[in-house]
Amino acid sequence: MKKRLLIANRSEIAIRIIRAAHKLGMVAVVFQSDREPEALYLSYADEVIPARDAHNDKAIFLDAERIVQLALENNIDLIHPGYGFLSENPDFAQLCTDKGLNFIGPSAQLIRDMGLKTVAKSMAIEAGLPLVPGSDGPVRDAQVAKEFADRIGYPVILKASAGGGGRGMRIVEKPETIERNFKSASDEALAAFGNGDMFIEKYLQNPKHLEFQIMGDKHGNVVHLGERECSLQRKHQKIVEEAPSASVNPQKRAEMGEMAVRFAKAIGYYSAGTIEFIMDEDGSYYFMEMNTRIQVEHPVTEQVTGVDLVDWQIRVALGEHLTLKQEDIKITGWAMEIRVNTEDPQNRFSPQTGLIDQISFPSGDNIRIETGVQSGAVVTPYFDSMVAKIIVTGTDRADCIANTLDALNNFVLNGLKTTVPFCRVVLQHPAFVDATYTTRWVDQVFTPDMLENEDDEMIGALAATIMYAQEYLQLSSDIPWYKSDRLNVWVLNKRLNY
Amino acid sequence: MGTSYIYNRDASRLFIAVRENGKRYKLFIPKESKPAINGAEMDIDFVEQGDFDYTFEWKGKKFHCELVSRDQNKAIVKVNGVEYKYSIESIFSYIRRGMINSDANKIDDNNIAAPMPGKIVDIFLSEGDLVNAGDPILTLEAMKMQNEISANCNGVIRKIKVQPGQSVMKDELLVEIQSIEV
Repeated sequence: MKKRLLIANRSEIAIRIIRAAHKLGMVAVVFQSDREPEALYLSYADEVIPARDAHNDKAIFLDAERIVQLALENNIDLIHPGYGFLSENPDFAQLCTDKGLNFIGPSAQLIRDMGLKTVAKSMAIEAGLPLVPGSDGPVRDAQVAKEFADRIGYPVILKASAGGGGRGMRIVEKPETIERNFKSASDEALAAFGNGDMFIEKYLQNPKHLEFQIMGDKHGNVVHLGERECSLQRKHQKIVEEAPSASVNPQKRAEMGEMAVRFAKAIGYYSAGTIEFIMDEDGSYYFMEMNTRIQVEHPVTEQVTGVDLVDWQIRVALGEHLTLKQEDIKITGWAMEIRVNTEDPQNRFSPQTGLIDQISFPSGDNIRIETGVQSGAVVTPYFDSMVAKIIVTGTDRADCIANTLDALNNFVLNGLKTTVPFCRVVLQHPAFVDATYTTRWVDQVFTPDMLENEDDEMIGALAATIMYAQEYLQLSSDIPWYKSDRLNVWVLNKRLNY
Repeated sequence: MGTSYIYNRDASRLFIAVRENGKRYKLFIPKESKPAINGAEMDIDFVEQGDFDYTFEWKGKKFHCELVSRDQNKAIVKVNGVEYKYSIESIFSYIRRGMINSDANKIDDNNIAAPMPGKIVDIFLSEGDLVNAGDPILTLEAMKMQNEISANCNGVIRKIKVQPGQSVMKDELLVEIQSIEV
């Protein structure tokens, strides 16, 4: 009997997992949420379970009890959580396991441990991973803070134990101001959270975000598949990712990769996982956290290693031995991923919802498209704004940038604004081209006027004028270089309005 | 400016597009050739046309333009995903508004009078045509010599007061030109 795999997710990742399930000869089952009853992924699945979640507070993808209940009713064998939603919810993983469903991911215990920063960090220390130098616990007073800062070097960051949202937080550049900052931050934290305890940590001014992909089985085998660089972020969310990273040479890759594998083995990790590091300008790096799910940006790793990560996730869940050997994993060429989010980069990346009148993707040997939408789709406010990913490869980094720009020039989405113009700016910016960009690029460098250029402005004037002129002169039929019998825009506009 | 962008062209096809940032484009949308922007003819092609969007190809690059919104003569166009706002006017409404808005320094007609008595042999342009300063408008024959009378400014031919074959006195009004400086 064919195994039945339920995907507790939606959009492009659901389609990605359906593809993997089909490759393994499984029946792919998905939920149909009332919040997007005509979503594209539904048409790829073998079976669709109506979730009838219209009147529930949460969409089906967040409703652990109901997912498990429907899975049992539908004779499901395995559940793939995708990313986001319940993918890193230990209670959901535990519930699946308790009910005899094969949860595709690591153990519930490990999801829980990695979700607790302090636990994850202490496990990392045990495994010998470097952490950002800082106080292990609260520092008693300003004097102790100063002594500590003098030892680890400036700048440092003071953080309230109970803090959040930037309150009770100070970046201190030099010794003269640390006592004053300590006091004001502590007072602020006390007022805001009722707790004035302060931590102190080394502050990285221009850090890079690097992460290592690992894959482990249930028999103690773990390999790493190299790194991804995800330093390009807006609102702390990644927007352009690449593999490999220009900041990691083969020697460093081997060193950091070995460290990631050692950590995964030490904690008994299996399935796909990502170990995140933050890297300073001088090349020193520190463990940040571990993600226990398949990640949005996994395709860049797949493109440069040729390894199908989702396929392996499922096979590992079934108890298969990992046949990948570390020495066989080679990084070939370069890959970049552009996230197509329906957001307005001209207006602080505010989300855009509504109808996608038309969407058309570039195509080619070096282009991989992962999309959750097609023309006519509606972007709702219920889910996140990422509608597709454009993954492009090249022989080296410069070739990859050129190919990606070319691909983006052939991407069209009518109806909503997207992050694509922003990504075009990124790809052409000197700091990206020379790979010195950091997680602060958007905050420190980007301004919306960088999206504009003179050619576009001039052609826009032409388009606007032709549209206007057609109505003004009723010219539609007598512009010879304009070969089309289609209804002209202004006539249509009039029909819509009157 | 010695460009010939408006020479002998139909003024009803000349438009001014002004962006929010004040940047101005003079656009000529001709009947039988490619458009001209700020005097230069553009080697541009239509690749695709949808209901509310155009795709052009220019300099080997694609420019995808989508009409986002339109209110009277104001339009927001998304070019390769980025929005630009314009207000568009025909040259006539531009002139009209110019006259209404600035009574103090209103735009004067530039009258061309006959420099000498003679006979009108030929008229090259008609009312409504656009001219550049220096463009020939008509030929005046005087003392067995043919004299080309040229435009004294960039603008639109507003009135032609004479006909071929007509005799004119010195200083007689021949042509009125509405000057356009945009």
